[in-house]
Amino acid sequence: MLHLAARSAWNRRGTLSLVLLSIALATALLLSLEGLRRDIRASFAQAVSGTDLVIGARTGPVQLMLYAVFRVGGATNNISMDSVRAVAAHRAVAWTVPLSLGDSHRGYPVLGTTVAYFEHFAYGDRQRLAMAEGRPFSGTLDGLYEAVIGAEVAQSLGYRAGTRLTLTHGMGGDLAAEHADKPFTVVGVLERTGTPVDRTVHVSLQAIEAIHLDWAGGARLPGLRIGAEDARKFDLEPKQVTALLVGLKSRAAVFAVQRHVNSHPGEALMAVLPGVALDELWEVVGLGERALLAISGLVALVSLAGLVAVVLAGLNERRRELAVLRAVGAGPRHVLVLLALEGMLVTLAGALIGAAATAAAVVAAGPWLQQQFGIGLQAATPAAGQWLLFAAVLVAGMLASLVPGWRAYRLSLADGLSPRT
Amino acid sequence: MKHTPTARTARIPRPLRPSTVTAPRRALLAAGLVLAVLPGASLRAQPRPGVPQPGPALPAPPSRPGTAAAGAARTIDWDALIPPGWDPMKDLKGLDFSTLSDADPRAAAALSKLREVWDQAPVNAALAGQRVRLPGYIVPLEETRAGLKEFLLVPYFGACIHTPPPPANQIVHVLPRVAAPGFRSMDTVWVTGVMTVVRTDSYMGVAGYRLEAEQVTAYTQRPPASR
Amino acid sequence: MRPGPPCPQHNLLVLEIRDLRYAWPGTAGDCLAIDALTLEAGRSVFVHGPSGSGKSTLLGLMAGVLLARAGRVSLLGQDWAGLPAGARDARRADLVGVVFQQFNLLPYLSVLDNVLLPTRLCAARARRCQPAPAPAAQALLQRMGLPAPLWTRRADALSVGQQQRVAAARALLGRPALLIADEPTSALDAAVRDDFMDLLLQQCRDSASALVFVSHDERLAARFDERLSLPQLNRCRAPE
Repeated sequence: MLHLAARSAWNRRGTLSLVLLSIALATALLLSLEGLRRDIRASFAQAVSGTDLVIGARTGPVQLMLYAVFRVGGATNNISMDSVRAVAAHRAVAWTVPLSLGDSHRGYPVLGTTVAYFEHFAYGDRQRLAMAEGRPFSGTLDGLYEAVIGAEVAQSLGYRAGTRLTLTHGMGGDLAAEHADKPFTVVGVLERTGTPVDRTVHVSLQAIEAIHLDWAGGARLPGLRIGAEDARKFDLEPKQVTALLVGLKSRAAVFAVQRHVNSHPGEALMAVLPGVALDELWEVVGLGERALLAISGLVALVSLAGLVAVVLAGLNERRRELAVLRAVGAGPRHVLVLLALEGMLVTLAGALIGAAATAAAVVAAGPWLQQQFGIGLQAATPAAGQWLLFAAVLVAGMLASLVPGWRAYRLSLADGLSPRT
Repeated sequence: MKHTPTARTARIPRPLRPSTVTAPRRALLAAGLVLAVLPGASLRAQPRPGVPQPGPALPAPPSRPGTAAAGAARTIDWDALIPPGWDPMKDLKGLDFSTLSDADPRAAAALSKLREVWDQAPVNAALAGQRVRLPGYIVPLEETRAGLKEFLLVPYFGACIHTPPPPANQIVHVLPRVAAPGFRSMDTVWVTGVMTVVRTDSYMGVAGYRLEAEQVTAYTQRPPASR
Repeated sequence: MRPGPPCPQHNLLVLEIRDLRYAWPGTAGDCLAIDALTLEAGRSVFVHGPSGSGKSTLLGLMAGVLLARAGRVSLLGQDWAGLPAGARDARRADLVGVVFQQFNLLPYLSVLDNVLLPTRLCAARARRCQPAPAPAAQALLQRMGLPAPLWTRRADALSVGQQQRVAAARALLGRPALLIADEPTSALDAAVRDDFMDLLLQQCRDSASALVFVSHDERLAARFDERLSLPQLNRCRAPE
């Protein structure tokens, strides 16, 4: 019976192939959406680990996380170094890592920080940063213009230890001004992390101060030229930073410290727990995700309806075929099973093609996503949600195929051996 | 911007109503009210869409008196985490909060005193080493692909968003033995495992609770059976 | 392995119709009324009937596809009406072979697959094939004048005459008790038709199958053991 259904479907592959493609497309949509959901969420969740609080100007928790950890978007305000020192002096705080953002290099964000970053920053499952080549910047005046680059920057720009680069003011663009008089040298390349660290250029806070000595409001001050060497003689301690990563001696103290920071009298500060802020992000994003999934589900239903329509439309021409089957001894029930099997085979083939297309898309688009956003896609291990959706498509196809099967059943009952065509 | 105190915001977290504290109960209610309307407190962030409002404290399961059988986890409630005789309000007796206005500096001073006391709340050493089962809300700390690897368990909803954070002896630092997938911030769960008391000379007094969880399951009215 | 029903011997009563009354569903009056009709194994009967005289209806009743309103239609002693639908289909697969006027074959199957169809649907019929369904089918095709190269070709790649012979082979595979032919030669031209007739009648005699041959062409009647006229057989005056 299965063999018969397969041959019958193959015989009509011209019209069925269009339906097959639409089922494949719908399945691919559903599966890739679900896979993206899972992978994006996992990528974001593992971008930072071991950090108890992220402190910044009082914007919103999600926005703070986005620009402090994911280097996406811009900070509306900075926090003063006085506040940073006050937080660092708190009894419960074990370490702090200040972050300064604003410049870029060929589209990649530049992060100003201290050497404590390489010691305390962790991602994934408490994994520390490791050097693939070279060493972290020294943080001293001698090593003022040293830079450490992430694996993605090194790979796509072809940089290694010893490469010289200049920073661009702001986030780049065609007319962006360059800090061309103060070039940097790469002293280290980080191992790949699968997080936004890969696409970051790290320099010291003092270096950020140095390159902005003769700048004001986004442009060079006319007539004022401070050379790279002369910059070392100035006071390069930063007055402001963009954000602060904080680690506590006891993790259970996080609420108390958060409250302390939020009610800081001097400046409008905000402290967020990374995990909680991320969950808030997913709450909001979840609405969009559910809408997209619903639409994809509708697409799947539409393509299955197309399958039913195509098979039903062809039934009239097949009444003689059904009569032949009845003549050789197939009962109406056999006819129902045959038609239903045809539909299910088409659904199965379409779903498999869709799944293969999803995997291929992940392989093709994965590197680009990694480069642009630091998101790692996994094709090899399908998410539980993906299995569920695949099964749902198959079950829906099974149910949909019963419709032409039932019609064929009724037809062959009525026609008997002599169809009225 | 004033945050309208609803009945829920004003309600004290359950643990502060143990039977040992009776007389200052009204004062504590007022203290909660004061906390909620204190101007300038950045805790009162305006409600965001999608972020749930703080709800009532978790209903405690029917308590099972008696010592734990060898190997079986004892279901406890948050009251058990408070050492008997701890009275956070003892320095604040004598202040009738219902007569104080919001802007009175004595209210602010009492409030910060209360906060300090809560932050240094002692632990109940009798729980150390016991295998217990406790319900609570999740505040995630570490999450990987496999699931939650570290989180804090708190007794009431919104402990880090809207309402004042709980006292130190009402926070449990949970480390699941196996990463727990599928949980989000403020999900309600049952946690089963061995409770330990960790000494740290940190801001949080000298000690806090830590629990190595064998089981983290979604909350149901009946506690889950132990394996 | 338990053998199937025994090969029908000559003089065994294969088909018996008694007091048959049939009306189309939804119509009030009977369109078919036959008092008595019998057929023995190995015998062939030619039923003459112009179009519209109820030939297809009669064949449907004989094959158990349609059920009589009253009376008895029995194949090898078992009344069709006494069986549930599933059992009727199984019995038909086992004991009956059908050849239509045209479009007998499933176009997307090969010639051999088409011939083997009944054996795929009925195990008992497969068991009656000696030594096995496939070799028996091939032998039958050879005897019908269809050489080996044709067996793997798609059924719709053959000429009409060849297709009819394939249909006959399919109907004969497994030695059914009853073989029903509904105007099988009407689409064939004269030369092909005679060959087909000879082959069909010969094979039926060899396998001791009873043959019911319905056609409007009286000239074919000569080769058959019995000749009947459906308008005379049918007691109903107004054919539909």
